[in-house]
Formats: sequence, C-alpha cells, structure tokens
Amino acid sequence: MLNEFLTMTVSATGMTAQRLRLDVIASNIANSETTRTPEGTPYRRRISVFSEYLLKSGETRSSGVKVSRIAEDTSPFRVVYDPSHPDADENGYVQLPNVNVLREMIDLINAQRSYDANVSAFNTVKAMINSALQIGRG
Amino acid sequence: MIERISNVNRINQIQNQTSDGGKSSVDFAKMLSDAVEKVNSLQKNADQMANDFALGKISNIHDVIIEAEKASVALKLTTEVRDKIIEAYREIMRMQL
Repeated sequence: MLNEFLTMTVSATGMTAQRLRLDVIASNIANSETTRTPEGTPYRRRISVFSEYLLKSGETRSSGVKVSRIAEDTSPFRVVYDPSHPDADENGYVQLPNVNVLREMIDLINAQRSYDANVSAFNTVKAMINSALQIGRG
Repeated sequence: MIERISNVNRINQIQNQTSDGGKSSVDFAKMLSDAVEKVNSLQKNADQMANDFALGKISNIHDVIIEAEKASVALKLTTEVRDKIIEAYREIMRMQL
C-alpha cells in the first residue's frame, strides 16, 4: 500500500476518536441534571482517554490514535439546597452530577476543531498526491 | 522525508535488474495485474462501505468518505501509469525502421 494511504488512515483514526469524544461530551451535557443512575448515585462526568495506536504498512510505521477507555470523573458532586426535589436528603440538599456545562461546551468546541484539523491533514495528503500526479504534465 | 529519499535507491535497484539482461524475477505483466487487482480491491472496499452505510451498519461517515477517496486516488494513479505506458508504446510504434 502507498505510504500516503497510511497517512489517510492516521487521519481517519483521529476523526473516529474525536467523534467518540463528542459522543461522551454529548452524554455529559444530556445528563447534567440526572440524579438517578443504576449505581444509585447522580450521574458522574465521563472523560475519554486517548492513547497512541500504532499503524503499520510494510516497513512504514505511523501513530494513529484511539480512545483506550472512558474514565469517570471522581470529583465531588454538586450539592444544591432544594427541599422540594424528590431526591433531596433529610436536610433538603440534592446531589447533582459533577458536570459543568460551560466546561463541556469548551470541550465540545475543542473536539470539533480537532476533527477539523484531522480533515485538513487528510485534504493536504490528497492535494499532495494530486500534485504528484501532475508531475511531467507541464 | 528520509524514506522518500531512500526510494531513489529502489530506482537504482530497478536499473540493476534491467541491466542483467532482463533476467529479473519480477514479471512486468504480473506486476501490472497485481497493481490493478489492488486498485480493484480498494474500489470494492469503498463500494462495500457505501452499501453498509446505506444499510445503517456504519456509524462514522468519514470512514466511508475516506475509503472512497483512497479508491479514487488509486484509480487516478492507475490511469496515469496506463497513459505513460501507452505513450511509450506509441513512441516505439512510430519509430522508423
């Protein structure tokens, strides 16, 4: 296989990783007010952990990326005084997820920009191949 | 970049192979058909991906597009090589004997 195709595959792994990261952020935002989960606690913010993913084509090696695991944020839950809430404790305090929506929005923009960067890398490889095919045409 | 430079050595190898009376083990016709076969498999792969996407089996659009791009680039390269070969053939046929 062409080395250029390997570069394309590397960009593809980057895009896939950012898509998964976007999924994780979306579920964090969707669950920013969720007080009930199967574990009996409020929703815990999830973080995607990226790790290097080695790709090989012939003798050429390149590093792609993959999401190795989705970890849970262990920071404490937000505590809000709201005695009318069905999940409030005897003192009237409710534990809410440790999700900060503002921070999730920033991560969201980050994921989008990283995805775009991977697309740019891909397009550059494609442009290089196309100009290589133009050699000798002039 | 260093790998690109080392490709020059491969060209030297080809020259060495042709200089020993065309006894090289690589058959040109076989090499060509192998290359075409590879391009064909890329096309099939892209086709399969497009099918799977239409059937809802694939969740990432970019994988489909990237496979299609790989196939189109490979095909472009093939036609370019074919044009070069035909050009050389015509050049030889035009030769005055």
